[in-house]
Amino acid sequence: MTIACVVWYSTITVYVAIKGAKDIKNMLARLDATRKKEAEEQ
Amino acid sequence: MTNFNWLLDGSIVGLYLLVTMVAGLMVRKYVGKVEHFLVAGREMDVYLGIASLAATEFGIVTCMYTAQNGYEKGFAGATPGILMAVAMAGVGLTGFVIKPLRDSGVITIPELLEQKFGKRIRWAAGVMIVLGGLLNMGVFLRTGGQFLVLVAGLNVRYLEIMMTALLVGVAVYTILGGMLSVLVTDFLQFVVMSVGLILVTILILMNVGWEKLVTTVETQYGAGGFNPFVNPTMGWQYVLFNLMLNTAAVLTWQTIIARVLAAKDTQTGRRVYTGTAFFFVCRFLIPGIWGIAALATLGPVANTLEAMPTYLSTAVPAGLMGILVAAMLAADMSTDSSYMLTWCSVIYNDILAPFRKRPWSERKGLFWNRTIIALIGIFLLLYGLWYPLKGDLWTYLGVTGTIYLASISVLLIACCYWRKANSWGAGAAILVSAIIPVTYLVMEQLPSTGALAKSIGPYYSGIATYILSGAAMVIGSLLKPQSHVEGRTA
Repeated sequence: MTIACVVWYSTITVYVAIKGAKDIKNMLARLDATRKKEAEEQ
Repeated sequence: MTNFNWLLDGSIVGLYLLVTMVAGLMVRKYVGKVEHFLVAGREMDVYLGIASLAATEFGIVTCMYTAQNGYEKGFAGATPGILMAVAMAGVGLTGFVIKPLRDSGVITIPELLEQKFGKRIRWAAGVMIVLGGLLNMGVFLRTGGQFLVLVAGLNVRYLEIMMTALLVGVAVYTILGGMLSVLVTDFLQFVVMSVGLILVTILILMNVGWEKLVTTVETQYGAGGFNPFVNPTMGWQYVLFNLMLNTAAVLTWQTIIARVLAAKDTQTGRRVYTGTAFFFVCRFLIPGIWGIAALATLGPVANTLEAMPTYLSTAVPAGLMGILVAAMLAADMSTDSSYMLTWCSVIYNDILAPFRKRPWSERKGLFWNRTIIALIGIFLLLYGLWYPLKGDLWTYLGVTGTIYLASISVLLIACCYWRKANSWGAGAAILVSAIIPVTYLVMEQLPSTGALAKSIGPYYSGIATYILSGAAMVIGSLLKPQSHVEGRTA
């Protein structure tokens, strides 16, 4: 299990890093869109 | 004596700190409301959630006590991590408790408890959570500083100043950007932390060798180094207590639950849990390997908590040492920022709720949240760093943790799934969960009851707390006269 843990952790770190970066970009884009929409409504 | 090179390793650490601070400060412009500040506007997606949760729940203190577990119990020391992974995966797959919790749209657990048990129980639960959480967190700074002193050879005279500067830096971006800063910096810290953990582990496996690690455990602990049920310091009671503890933590530790509540929807929250579950095996197993390597290299030592950092200080070469220190700082900073924000959310949302007769403006809400985080930071500095803690560290963590976990998990499960649960049962459960661990702690300290406490042991005491807290919920609820009407579950 130890070796599996190290291999899994290495692989998942790369995968989560790439997908997580996209998540941040999308999250900030959605927040920006909401902020602009609320500013226009005001 | 250490391999830490101030020019090379210091530069790596400095670069990491600079990038983290810049990233944390850059997102503050997206914070316009309390909802953005506390739960990132509920826009967090799966992989960001996984990275943030994995980073938050791995700090220097975790690294040290999991390594100590490896040193003292061999591979069987990873048992708590395996149990937590099982609990988290099970909860994620079934949605047990977390589905009704996220569906309700609440920001904190006590907010949900009010719907079933009323305002007083919400307030009492909020106090329990904050007290347990802050007292638990109070020891992180000093223990983290001790690790850095041992590994990097820092002058112990500068420990308080250095950890103060670190906490101030974390507090600055947490105060300004709230959960958004926490998520973004957690992500960076997850990457740095993971790289450090993996590289050091590979180094150890190459230098010490897998065979030597296994042989060391076999020689020192026999079958007990692999099987917790036959380990004389563990046994079935250790496994059962840790199963209860980790299940309760998965359901109710606010810093973990905060990721579910910040998720864009319930399904995302559940996927964050199932996706993060196996990290908790790694959380114990990887530092556990470091602890076993310390045992294989150093042999028996007087202070088992310091064995791993002492070993690493001379085993890790310059260059990689900088990455290791940056990784551990990353681990600590992600924990500090998340924990500060989490306890702030409970203080603001639940403990201050009675003072908000009318809804506060977003501006006022943000001001108070930021002020609370600053005050938490000051408390941590005074209590955790500048005031030396006396007594046994792990007993202290165990007691503060169980008071919180036993009561809140019982309340939350009953709130979600038992129609007859009411405020009498909730109050009784809170009382029992506080009385048993504190009584055990007092018994341990008194000469007249010390031997009895030792014979009972922390695991039986902990198991009894969970069982009797549940019983108190049932009995208290059934005793309440039917004429008192309660609210429904969420």
